[in-house]
Amino acid sequence: MPSITELAQSLVNGVGIGLVYGLIAIGFCVIYNASGIVNFAQGVFVMLGGMFTHALLTRLGLPIAIAALISIVLVALVGVLVQILIISPMWKRNAPLFAIILATLAVQLLIEQIVILTMGDQPRTYPEFSLGGPLMLGPIAIDYQLFWILGCGALMVILLTLFFNKTRAGRALRACSQNREAAALLGIPVGAMLMLSFALSAALGAAAGILITPTQYTAYSVDGPFGINGFIAAIIGGFGSAPAALVGGVLLGVVQSGAIVVFGAGYKNVVALTILLIVLLFFPRGLFGGLGKRV
Amino acid sequence: MTSRAIIFSKLGDYGYIAIGGAICIALLFGLVFIHGGYLVTVLQLAMIYGIFCVGLNFFMGYTGQASFGQNAFAAIGGYGTAIFCVQYNWEPILALLVSMGIAGIAALVVGYPTLRLRGHYLAMATFALGLITYDISVQWTSLTQGYMGYSGIPPLGIGPFTVEGERMKLLCLIAVVLFGLWISYRLRASRFGRALRAISTSEPGAAALGIRVSQYKLAAFIIAALYASAAGSLFAHVVGFISPEVFGLQMVVVTFTMLYVGGIGTVLGPAIGAIIASLLPEVFRSTGRFQDIAYAAVLLLLLIFMPKGLSALADIGRSRAPRPRAEG
Amino acid sequence: MALLKVRGLTKRFDGLQANSEIDLEIPEGSLFGVIGPNGAGKTTFFNMISGFQQPTAGTIEFAGTDITNMRQDKIAAMGLVRTFQLVQLFKDMSVAENVEVGFHLATKGGVAAAVARLAWFRRQEAEIHAKARELLDFVGLADQAEQDAELLPYGQQRLLEVARALAAQPRLLLLDEPAAGLNSHETDALAKIIQQVNGQGITVLLIEHDVALVTRIAQRIAVLDFGCKITEGTPDEIKRHPDVIAAYLGTDEAAHA
Repeated sequence: MPSITELAQSLVNGVGIGLVYGLIAIGFCVIYNASGIVNFAQGVFVMLGGMFTHALLTRLGLPIAIAALISIVLVALVGVLVQILIISPMWKRNAPLFAIILATLAVQLLIEQIVILTMGDQPRTYPEFSLGGPLMLGPIAIDYQLFWILGCGALMVILLTLFFNKTRAGRALRACSQNREAAALLGIPVGAMLMLSFALSAALGAAAGILITPTQYTAYSVDGPFGINGFIAAIIGGFGSAPAALVGGVLLGVVQSGAIVVFGAGYKNVVALTILLIVLLFFPRGLFGGLGKRV
Repeated sequence: MTSRAIIFSKLGDYGYIAIGGAICIALLFGLVFIHGGYLVTVLQLAMIYGIFCVGLNFFMGYTGQASFGQNAFAAIGGYGTAIFCVQYNWEPILALLVSMGIAGIAALVVGYPTLRLRGHYLAMATFALGLITYDISVQWTSLTQGYMGYSGIPPLGIGPFTVEGERMKLLCLIAVVLFGLWISYRLRASRFGRALRAISTSEPGAAALGIRVSQYKLAAFIIAALYASAAGSLFAHVVGFISPEVFGLQMVVVTFTMLYVGGIGTVLGPAIGAIIASLLPEVFRSTGRFQDIAYAAVLLLLLIFMPKGLSALADIGRSRAPRPRAEG
Repeated sequence: MALLKVRGLTKRFDGLQANSEIDLEIPEGSLFGVIGPNGAGKTTFFNMISGFQQPTAGTIEFAGTDITNMRQDKIAAMGLVRTFQLVQLFKDMSVAENVEVGFHLATKGGVAAAVARLAWFRRQEAEIHAKARELLDFVGLADQAEQDAELLPYGQQRLLEVARALAAQPRLLLLDEPAAGLNSHETDALAKIIQQVNGQGITVLLIEHDVALVTRIAQRIAVLDFGCKITEGTPDEIKRHPDVIAAYLGTDEAAHA
């Protein structure tokens, strides 16, 4: 039985990774709410965020803030490309649901392969945003990176909320989410809104990847686990609102962290997936109600 | 009904294309047989995936649901038969059948709660099943030998009679595929099959006529699991070695590609799709490092421009009203 | 003898009272109509009786058994079969196959039987094919038997739904706005079919918006408005009832009527 210290430490770690899952989850929700599609390739944006940032840091020697911002923009562009080239044509041709899911899986494979070819298959990482040891609260170590995650995460949620409530584009996107046909009738350019949703979602994913890389690593293969965990967080939160997704992510992160301490690292995914199944079966609308309009 | 009409109705949506295709396939197999070598193993794999796809088609095509986790049951079949044969010295056929039984029970237990979900949620839940099984097969090293994989699996056989030699194995697999197709056809053209097809297009309509929807969905799910388990076991016996990767994400994408290419919901579709999709990567083998990229890229192009798969081509010969997009 | 007894049936959605305390008795063998303006709650009423929605309060009794929270397929198995306002055809199947699905309750045989194909099974399949043709003949769709069901024109789709429901050998047939979208010609054909069905001893409960049709063929009519049953009676009584006229035409015009 693990000690209180170990459990408390796992709680702290869990919150950190959980917030990252939450950011990925918000990305899932943005796309789903705008288009009804679950982008199974969401994890790819997370991976690209970390990979691009690392490349910019090491090859161009840019400061972390610039590298991060450029990465986010680049990944957002990738998201828009995916939407324009793949999702949109399929949607317009009335592709069956499983074909779209298959396409997003294929996109994930394709991008992974391209990354392997252009950037190699070695895992890599870069230093935390502020150097210095972890903050010690008694026996519990809190990485400085955790504060960055908290801070940036909060900032992004605030910016998102402002965007959705105060800007025209944001309100238009919300209208799209609630009723696409009515939005189109009101003159809202639905196609552009979908592109925007993919760009936002990709940006969120990239930010998540950039924030978490210093605490672990990034490689072509991290897209899978991040994607799945982000989706689980989104389901727990209920696809409804950004705060719900964040809470879902934190819950997942904390439980997963605890499980690692109790069962060992290998079963981390099994635990996460079992949570997913439990939530799907007993809380079909997520823990906070949320959508379910397409179910 | 004229005999021509009977043939066409039995072949499903394909009609002329099916007859032409059947001849081509027969020629292809004949050539490969005579020539021997590497292509024989490619076709063996095609047949194994074909069995998997016939089962998956059953669930997806006839009930209109999506399961992204059938590879979990293939893993049960593969590891089950491997463990029974290598650890406990069972007869391969017995091991295969018992593994199917285990897979069926697993499908019953897992399917009962999971099949209440729909659309994306069902897709994700079933996807999770496949991932969980993959992780367990990696972690539970005492049972499955983890990443190293399980080797030394004896070939299929019973008593003194074993199936060895690449051509023999291929023949045997072809026989199994044909048997599987035959069962699938029989099920489709029956009260059971009609109920499933009704469920796939209108669950309320089916329920209003007294069909217990949840029970039938579960039955289809279990049948698909049995086919998947058989495919997994056959892989183990034909190749002699399995590892978690065999039943991982690759299998999900490959089998879905096959179903998509061959056409969901048709009788012969899965088998044809399996053959085409198995031969396709061979075309890219010459590109070396770009093989996987080429495969993914071609798949994407196909999906974008022909979202309904090759069956869209067959529809050209047959007037069909365009269907409105289904929700969820 | 009341085949269907509804007591105090109520349905509340989060602030909207769709049905309030409805009491109704449908005598066996009757042709009963339910009318009311749009939004009166007729379809909700139907959905609750057939198990597609759960009542907030009240009871439903069919042939002496409480079916209030029963599953849809069990209710159908008891002999209460419904059609849908938005036609629920089986789109990938032919017209004949659609009707054949209707015979599900009357037949047996699952996976094992389908694979084994013993003599009794083959006989049963042949019977199903033949009886399906008969029903299609009855509703006038015999010529379209092999066509894709989704290619049928709208009016014929409705007839197909009726044929399919009949295959399930109902004691009580619930028709949900069967005449919606039909022209007068098609409506006449439908009226005749409904009357013939009733003549064979099948109780028919009919929701309709077309008041003329209902007053023509129904023996008894209940009127719903704003979720309540405002009155019940013979077609003549209904036609003259001031509340009914007010519900359909509005009180101002009723005053001048």
